[in-house]
Amino acid sequence: MATPKGGNFGKVLEIDLSKLTYKTRPVSDEILQQWIGGRGLGAYYALTEYKAGKKPFDEDAFVFVGPGPLSGTMAVSHRTCFVNISPLTGRLNHAECGAQLASEIKFAGWDGIYIKGKAKKPTWFAVVNDKVEFKDASKMWGKTTDEAHEMMIKEMKDPEIRTAVIGPAGENGALQANVIVERFRAASRSNTGPVFGDKKLKGFAVRGTKYAVPVVDNAKFLAAARTGKEINIAGEAWEGLKRWGTGGLMELKHFLHGSLITKNFQTTWYPEVVNIGGEEAARTFWKRHSSCTNCPAHCLKLGVIRDGKYRGLVAESPEYESGGLLGSNLGMKKFDEMTALIEACDAYGLDNISTGGTLAFLTEAMEKGAIKPADLDGLKPKWGDCDTYMEMIRRIALKEGKAGKFMAQGVARMSKQIGKGSEAYANVVKGRELAAHDPRGDKIRAYSYTMGTNGGDHHEGQGSKALAMTAMADSLCSCTFTSILIWGASTDKIVTDMLNGLCGWNMKPEDYWTTAKRIMTAERLLNVREGISSKDDRLPIRMYKEKLPAGPKKDAIFTEEDQKKMEADTYGFFGWDAKGIPTEATLKAYGMDAFIGELNAAKKKYNL
Amino acid sequence: MEEKKLPDVLKKETSRRDFLRGTATAAGGALAISAIGGIAPKKAEAQYSVQGAPGTKPYAQKYRFAERQNCTGCRSCEFACSLFHTGTVRPALSRIYITKYKDIVDVPVMCWHCDDAPCIAACPTTPKAIQKDPKTNGIVLNEKICLGAKCMKCQEACPAKYIRGNPDTGQPLICDLCGGDPQCVKACHEQAGNPQGPCLMGRPVGLGVNMAYRSVTPEQAGKDLANLLFYPNVEGKRVVPAKTKKGR
Repeated sequence: MATPKGGNFGKVLEIDLSKLTYKTRPVSDEILQQWIGGRGLGAYYALTEYKAGKKPFDEDAFVFVGPGPLSGTMAVSHRTCFVNISPLTGRLNHAECGAQLASEIKFAGWDGIYIKGKAKKPTWFAVVNDKVEFKDASKMWGKTTDEAHEMMIKEMKDPEIRTAVIGPAGENGALQANVIVERFRAASRSNTGPVFGDKKLKGFAVRGTKYAVPVVDNAKFLAAARTGKEINIAGEAWEGLKRWGTGGLMELKHFLHGSLITKNFQTTWYPEVVNIGGEEAARTFWKRHSSCTNCPAHCLKLGVIRDGKYRGLVAESPEYESGGLLGSNLGMKKFDEMTALIEACDAYGLDNISTGGTLAFLTEAMEKGAIKPADLDGLKPKWGDCDTYMEMIRRIALKEGKAGKFMAQGVARMSKQIGKGSEAYANVVKGRELAAHDPRGDKIRAYSYTMGTNGGDHHEGQGSKALAMTAMADSLCSCTFTSILIWGASTDKIVTDMLNGLCGWNMKPEDYWTTAKRIMTAERLLNVREGISSKDDRLPIRMYKEKLPAGPKKDAIFTEEDQKKMEADTYGFFGWDAKGIPTEATLKAYGMDAFIGELNAAKKKYNL
Repeated sequence: MEEKKLPDVLKKETSRRDFLRGTATAAGGALAISAIGGIAPKKAEAQYSVQGAPGTKPYAQKYRFAERQNCTGCRSCEFACSLFHTGTVRPALSRIYITKYKDIVDVPVMCWHCDDAPCIAACPTTPKAIQKDPKTNGIVLNEKICLGAKCMKCQEACPAKYIRGNPDTGQPLICDLCGGDPQCVKACHEQAGNPQGPCLMGRPVGLGVNMAYRSVTPEQAGKDLANLLFYPNVEGKRVVPAKTKKGR
């Protein structure tokens, strides 16, 4: 149990909401070297503390909010990772978001925040350096995410506090609910919203002024961090990202890649994209660029609607995923209407992706006659009908009426209830709605959707190696844009150089891969314990059955050969068997011998 | 030998085609992430300098200016400042900082190095605990003389409401221009690239412009920016949704 010399403080803040107390949970250098931080450390906690079948709403179920060792240093690293059992999927999931929160947690002297227990009444807490203060949130309960954020700033009398809050959707337990960080950033794909809501936790605020991240070898670390950043600054690849954000991908994916999802994955050809994509945003909407901590890419674009029904709407829009799911996927034709939907989701604290998937699924089900307006309390969704969609979003968030409760369960559960062949167009992987990349047009994206821990997540890495690299990036809490995607094959060297200088470790580039595979295998083990195997690592039925009807990838389809190739590649790379179960030898190789018994029990239980 | 050039982000244009090409490379990179050797920097060793145009002599940066519209809120200036002055990254000790106004705009708050320096005039000690270095125009704090948190007359006198207290010692955090080579300007020039260009600039003369800047408090600057960028919603309020109550 050595205390970390650099990069980390060896202290995780443990919050117990049942007793409204907090304490320091020590974390040793050895553990941090094995699991890094963020996503990896969350997986470690789940692996060591949870038994199979852990429920998201158990009293001792935790939400781990993690920065990584690089957060709050000169390296480009600014993501915050939320790890918890997702009520949507019933498995351990993780979500990352940007903003300034991660570095602020480090400046307050913590390596992460571990939240457990359930409060009796609405609560929020403020972390100011070493101290935690629990506060009453009954006035914030029911308020939208931006209102709650503003109330926290007002109460703390400090505009520089960093907040993470849930909206009404999380309070009411809509399964698509997320956590909104600093008003415009969302950590969505772990469905932390309903977990916070169940814990009666509106959110938290962090302010750190007392600590700086210790560095073992300053000269070495700064040189390595410099190398990593230099590639971001001088490299040409992200000129587009800087100018257009990810919103600009909408036209690109439509015209070139043929993977812009349209009308619940019916096609990828959507010529109206010119009215809702990045170019339209640049012409009429975007006003300024906004950046996360110490990041040269400033990919977030803020703008204001100047005219029409939504005049004065200030929003961050569109990102590729939000614009895809709530734009082309719903057949939206007007920029301001799409932006209003995105903004409504953010205000209520709903995952844009899952909500967009839900609305699109219901629209198609209505079109195909599987449901009737009577099933939705008279709502009749149609492609491009903004007002109905807006009302549906409101009912999901508030779980209002029969329709609200029905829709707030997500696509997988709805499709099961509806039946009538609706599973043919229920676009989910392992219970989670797909993001905005059609895997028929963008085949490599299938790795991320199917092989990733979350399932249906676009942000898990494209390719077997990329899966490992993304696991590592999420544990270091660096954005994939500013790290692995631009560093490519030199990533292992850059990262280990940084970590060696920062933490005083002696990692070789090979160790980067071992650590990455350890984290992925641990998460896979957690999945296997819940009965996941190769039979679940599959795309939605539509991807194998229906050819793309139009667009640059006309007639493309995801074949069984593609599937087999992908499985063999991934399982082989990580040392898992043909059914996607980590072998005993693999567990031993990554120092997880203690869990072999559990693995065998799960294999027996689920007949794997 | 290749001439060292300014990273002239202001002149650089990114056409639509470049964008598509750029992102295509990126997406292609994602496709072949295992195969590519990293997207190499354009120049093997990118050199950033804010010391004037190529071929001209470097000039002293006695004054700083800010194009506030260009600030993206990345806080690289804070990081560079605290690293230079304390050896560690701790923005609470930075001599320049970014504050948010209504969550929609970021406002860099910094010393304008006023020619009449009201902070120095207000300093009650003899000799003065804060003094201007005539060579660099930076304001240097003498930690031995400064009375710290119980005084803070400089903070009261600052027309730009810039001066903060050091959370450890209570003494004012004040800008010494890093001995003539402001790290914040350097960091900003590196970081804020295409399309808007950097926010901070260093120049040898103030021409009274710095005196105009100083009469604007961070809050007023934020208000101005919000008005300029986000009209007609200058308060940044959410327009949708209005209804958070059940039933209608």
